Amino acid sequence: MRISFKRVRAIFVKDYKEFSRNYAVSIMLILPIVLALLIRGVDSSLPLAAVAGTFATVLNLSFVMLTCFAQACLIAEEKERNTLRSLMMTPATTLDVLVGKSSLVFVMSAVVLVITTYIFGYEPANLGALVVVVALSLILYIATGTICGLFSRTLLDASLSILPVAFVFTGAPWGVFLADDYPIFRALDYVPSSQLVHLIGLSDTGYTTGDLLKPLVITFIWTVVLTIVSVVLYQRRLKDE
Amino acid sequence: MQFEPIYQNGKLLLPKFELQMNPNESTGIITDLKRKQLVINQLSDRSRYFVLRAGQNEYLHLTVTELITFLLQVTERKDRLDPLMDYLALNEVRKVKVKKLPPSKRMYVTLLRAFFAYQPTIVLEEPYFYLEEEDRRHLKRILEDLSQEKSILILTSNLEDAMISCDEIYRLNEFGFHPLDIRDSGEDKQGIKEHDSPNITLQKISTKRNEKVILFDPPEVDYIESLDGSILVHVDGENYVCVSTLTDLELRLTHFGFFRCHRSYLVNLQKVREIITWTKNSYSLRLNTGKDAVVPLSRSKLQELKALLHI
Repeated sequence: MRISFKRVRAIFVKDYKEFSRNYAVSIMLILPIVLALLIRGVDSSLPLAAVAGTFATVLNLSFVMLTCFAQACLIAEEKERNTLRSLMMTPATTLDVLVGKSSLVFVMSAVVLVITTYIFGYEPANLGALVVVVALSLILYIATGTICGLFSRTLLDASLSILPVAFVFTGAPWGVFLADDYPIFRALDYVPSSQLVHLIGLSDTGYTTGDLLKPLVITFIWTVVLTIVSVVLYQRRLKDE
Repeated sequence: MQFEPIYQNGKLLLPKFELQMNPNESTGIITDLKRKQLVINQLSDRSRYFVLRAGQNEYLHLTVTELITFLLQVTERKDRLDPLMDYLALNEVRKVKVKKLPPSKRMYVTLLRAFFAYQPTIVLEEPYFYLEEEDRRHLKRILEDLSQEKSILILTSNLEDAMISCDEIYRLNEFGFHPLDIRDSGEDKQGIKEHDSPNITLQKISTKRNEKVILFDPPEVDYIESLDGSILVHVDGENYVCVSTLTDLELRLTHFGFFRCHRSYLVNLQKVREIITWTKNSYSLRLNTGKDAVVPLSRSKLQELKALLHI
């Protein structure tokens, strides 16, 4: 399947205009910034309120509420208006459409998250690792958003369909605390959001390469699997459109 | 293109038929909603058929210029924007967002996706239905230009819509798939009318009800009865008063298959289902109308009836 830069750019520009002018959806762009401004002031000496912990929470929330939601909406909106079907009639391939949309969501989320990090004033122990894990997470949540979008018929469906994602992914770091009572919850430690908490929680001094690599590898595996699943599902679902 | 037959509950919904699509010609199929759906389902090959469904919508937040630019880029066509906007007659609404366009214009803009199709065959469902006069004219012009290189198939439930721009028109319904020859069928109908009219007007049965004169065709009538000196014409369970006499009616209606089965009854033999024998000397006729109607049959008339029916 060939991918044409020109078509990807056309879809990117079109989706940017559609997204930014649909205020009901694009208001989500300021959510991470508002969260950052609100939580920044919390006294960091309180338990559970360490800068690293709250920052990880803000990131995990933003991934679902912004990245996943935006991608699901972009796809569901096209399905709702049947424009996806007629897009399939043009020379644009599946990859053109997916890459065009995903790159828009990726760029928007990345910009917003950089601003959020700056406002929060978080100093990472290893900047490179943080950038890589956030980039991987963005791709992962975009893939999840694609799946949500494919299973919803309308915009309303899409905004509801991200709820399960929010439960599993954002809730996982807290779910781990219940692992002593319910051993099954130990699995939640392998959800990428928990791994992000671990990575961000590393202190400036005294971490091994193993501590750094484990979250990266686990997130990477999630990203690859979810991306493949979303592309395959996309192709299969659109056959019967 | 070939269409496969489709059955539902043992009934043939879509017959097997083949459509010869010539370039430089547009074809129309007049059919109903269900069969439109079945036909479109069989045109799912995206590399050969560009299908524009009636439910197609548009990107609402783009302006018309942005939309056309997007379509140009995504289909990788080389046309220049300005002459194209002129050609598509969109100059007046260039800066208007699609969602702010009047409904007819929005539909027209949506239909322009067909202009950008690369497939050799364009299939449009009800293209003219929502369009106003002016937009219809523009679309017709664009479709005519398109049909120079591509074949166009229009699916509609409306004969007039099909006649706007189709060279060949077919009708697809429960009786199958048949070409519609517009000129010939018009002449035929006229011929039939001239031929039939003297007969029909002569043989109508005129009745009165509530001061209104109602005319019936003889085959509609179930039976006619004489009751207390007035003549009642029974049609579909209702009765109407007729002014002429039973003997008069019998003379006029004999060659329509009516039979004087009793001194005061004239029955339409086409509608008789059963001859009931009550006793050796008493008979009745049951009619196969909606309501259960039974007409007496005189013993003297039985032989005559048997001869008529060859029993």
